[in-house]
Amino acid sequence: MLSQNKTISEKLNSQCMFVYFSQLMDKPVIDSQGELVGRLYDIIVKPTEVYPASANLIIRKGFPNRKYAVVSWHDILERDEKEIRLKIDKPKIVFSERHDNKEELTLRRDILDQQVVDTYNHKVIRVNDIHMLAVDHSLMIAHVDISLRGLVRRLGLEKIVDFIVGLINKNADYLVTEHLISWKHIQPLSINPVSMSIKINVPQKQFSNIPSADLGDIFLDLNTQHQFALFKSLDLKTKSRIFMNIDFKAQKSLIEELETREVVEILNNIASDEATDFLEKLPRDTTEKFLNLMESKQSKKLSQLLGYSSDSAGGLMTAEYLAFPKDTTVESVLNQIKERAFKVEPAQFVYIVDEYNHLIGSTNFRRLFLANPQEPIQNASFPKAYSVHLNSSVKEVAYLMDKYKYYAIPVVDENGVLQGIVTVDDVLSQVISIAWRRLKKIKVQPKQ
Amino acid sequence: MRVKLRRFWRNTLIFLAVMGPGIITANVDNDAGGITTYSVAGAHFGYSLIWSFIPIIIALVIIQEMCSRMAVVTGKGLADLIREEFGVRVTFYAMTVLIFSNIFNTISEFAGIAASSELFGVSKYIVVPLCAFFVWWLIVKGTYKSVEKVFLLACIFYVCYIISGFLTKPNWNEVLKSSVNPKFQFNKAYLLMLMGVIGTTIAPWMQFYQQASVVEKNIKLKNYKYSKLDVIVGAFIVNIVAIFIVIVCADTLFKNGIRIETAKDAALALKPLAGRYCFYLFAFGLLNASVFSACILPLSTAYSVCEGMGWEVGVNRRFRQAPQFYILYSAIIIIGAVVILLPRVKLIPIMLLSQATNGLLLPFVLIFMLLLVNNKRLMGKYTNSKTYNLFAILTVVGMIGLSIALFFTLFIK
Repeated sequence: MLSQNKTISEKLNSQCMFVYFSQLMDKPVIDSQGELVGRLYDIIVKPTEVYPASANLIIRKGFPNRKYAVVSWHDILERDEKEIRLKIDKPKIVFSERHDNKEELTLRRDILDQQVVDTYNHKVIRVNDIHMLAVDHSLMIAHVDISLRGLVRRLGLEKIVDFIVGLINKNADYLVTEHLISWKHIQPLSINPVSMSIKINVPQKQFSNIPSADLGDIFLDLNTQHQFALFKSLDLKTKSRIFMNIDFKAQKSLIEELETREVVEILNNIASDEATDFLEKLPRDTTEKFLNLMESKQSKKLSQLLGYSSDSAGGLMTAEYLAFPKDTTVESVLNQIKERAFKVEPAQFVYIVDEYNHLIGSTNFRRLFLANPQEPIQNASFPKAYSVHLNSSVKEVAYLMDKYKYYAIPVVDENGVLQGIVTVDDVLSQVISIAWRRLKKIKVQPKQ
Repeated sequence: MRVKLRRFWRNTLIFLAVMGPGIITANVDNDAGGITTYSVAGAHFGYSLIWSFIPIIIALVIIQEMCSRMAVVTGKGLADLIREEFGVRVTFYAMTVLIFSNIFNTISEFAGIAASSELFGVSKYIVVPLCAFFVWWLIVKGTYKSVEKVFLLACIFYVCYIISGFLTKPNWNEVLKSSVNPKFQFNKAYLLMLMGVIGTTIAPWMQFYQQASVVEKNIKLKNYKYSKLDVIVGAFIVNIVAIFIVIVCADTLFKNGIRIETAKDAALALKPLAGRYCFYLFAFGLLNASVFSACILPLSTAYSVCEGMGWEVGVNRRFRQAPQFYILYSAIIIIGAVVILLPRVKLIPIMLLSQATNGLLLPFVLIFMLLLVNNKRLMGKYTNSKTYNLFAILTVVGMIGLSIALFFTLFIK
């Protein structure tokens, strides 16, 4: 008996702690005299915190000539299941025709029923309900609800449907599992109409935790307007990561919206093989325009790479690699590796060249760590250096990689001068597409 | 001169790239139900209803242009926008009605397939399952681009009706006279037919489909004028085809005083009057139109519903990623095909139900569209202008009045 009481009181307690926004929406708002002011329409939250807290409520009255009033959250006396009672009198509340202040984040306009990015599951989702936590008087957004039950609750059919499902199966997935996603993983996508960008409230950490390929997929799931607004709001590093991981069609529609300066900035900042992949599909004169505006070092590298056919080693290679003169000491090589900033993580290989940049050997990080720091790197080299020519085919490259278990293979010109490296991911994507074309059974799934 | 010519080619190329959604949506309009309505109109009233296609073209352009514009400006589908602006309750009920209305429509498309298969002397128990499988396979295995090409090809086959129109050697003078100088008749049968003709041209699923496919095509704002042209061209093509169907039936059946109930009756009656070729063309046109619409209706329904409810959408996703989409899509096709193959199923009540659900939904969809397209927050400077709004409101009020009237006559009859 006692334990039963306890669970009931716990239940009551938890009900008071948490409330769904749909349970508040359209609740009557009563003034201090007990007179009806209107109905709760929306809640404005302070977006500065990790879990935004309620700041104001918007009351709506009248039909069809709707009027809205904004009241501070502090003016609420108390709130229960039936109604919301205010401390102030009705005459003090000023109603007007409009309520949208575009700068603010509001639940009904910006979050409920809208698409948001779930940075934990790496998906674009639609919010069915908002789960709020009551913390001394104010409400905080705790989770968003994306479940079917959330939809049913919004339709006002929760009790009936719960009952019917309960009759069939008491432990149905529908009743037991909650599809709540913590607010800290949610990035709203409401667009500020003035700056046409999305306000990123929590530092962009969330986006940096998402693997690049998933980030690209999320981006492609958005509609073009949101794509552009989100892109504009991100930092250069995230922008570059997205740009490298979307298909050409999306890249092209993006650069049409961006200023040339921004495009050049991104092109300067992405791996050279990704940049050439993109540039070689553009019209000649556009490519030239970008190359002329880019940092001279990068543009030189790119215009060279652009000269090779796209399915040869020259077309696949990147100019991002580590090469050192043969008599550099191991210690100094290791120090330079630590200090250098990379646009992409290079394969763990270090190449050894002579004074004319002829490839004479290669080694990997492991060998360098184990070697005597004072010795020249030549002594830490693999017994034999394998390389491919600029015009070697993809198959040849793939064959060598498979045979010697390399993650990257150096590319040399006819004089043996090191030109770049082909990494396993670029070869893999080529080989996979060849294999898919061959195996008609597997359907190639193009990105949208 | 050279610059001009080059610009002309450039513009033509852009138009060819942008075109599709408007033309396809408009053409699906001439589905099995549409062909039946136009045949009956021609057979029973001769040329006297042809004038109505002029206001229909205008109404069609005005309504579909708004969808197209909303798609280009917001980049969202109509179901998306309704969910985001009017909340989940409204969306849910609208989608429920849409599902029912499109199931009935799909059944009548499969009825068209069954009817045309019998015209060619093949059993419907072979053709209907085959077509159902083809339709399902096309979407599940195709991409948006390849599917659009198949659809545009289907649009070309509508030429059948135009050729059969010429085969009956109509009196063009009379056609022109009756379309410019309408002979309005004030009797119940004529008014009902008029309502039927207009009502079949603008259906709620069209707005959802058109907007979704413009979004999918990712058309840029700067190319919007081509998208507008796409809508206009589509509206003209579809109505020209419809006029030819009316002409064929008016020239042969009306002149000989033959009464018909369905498109199948029309084709059969054409055989002795206009010859074998005309009969085959008419029957093939019916088959093409039915299969084409049977592709688009389930697809459009699944898209809109999943969009509105926030479920994963898309032909490019696998079953596990978008289960609701595939279940809905497949279920509508299966229901459509199975119902037609059931022995002793009555088609007339299904047609009436499809018209009734369409009529129930259309006013809401049109009002939502007007509210959305005039929403500054969504559309910025691309809201309707004052004059455009006047015409749009007139069209919408007219369409609503018509669909309410049609809705009630269904039950009074």
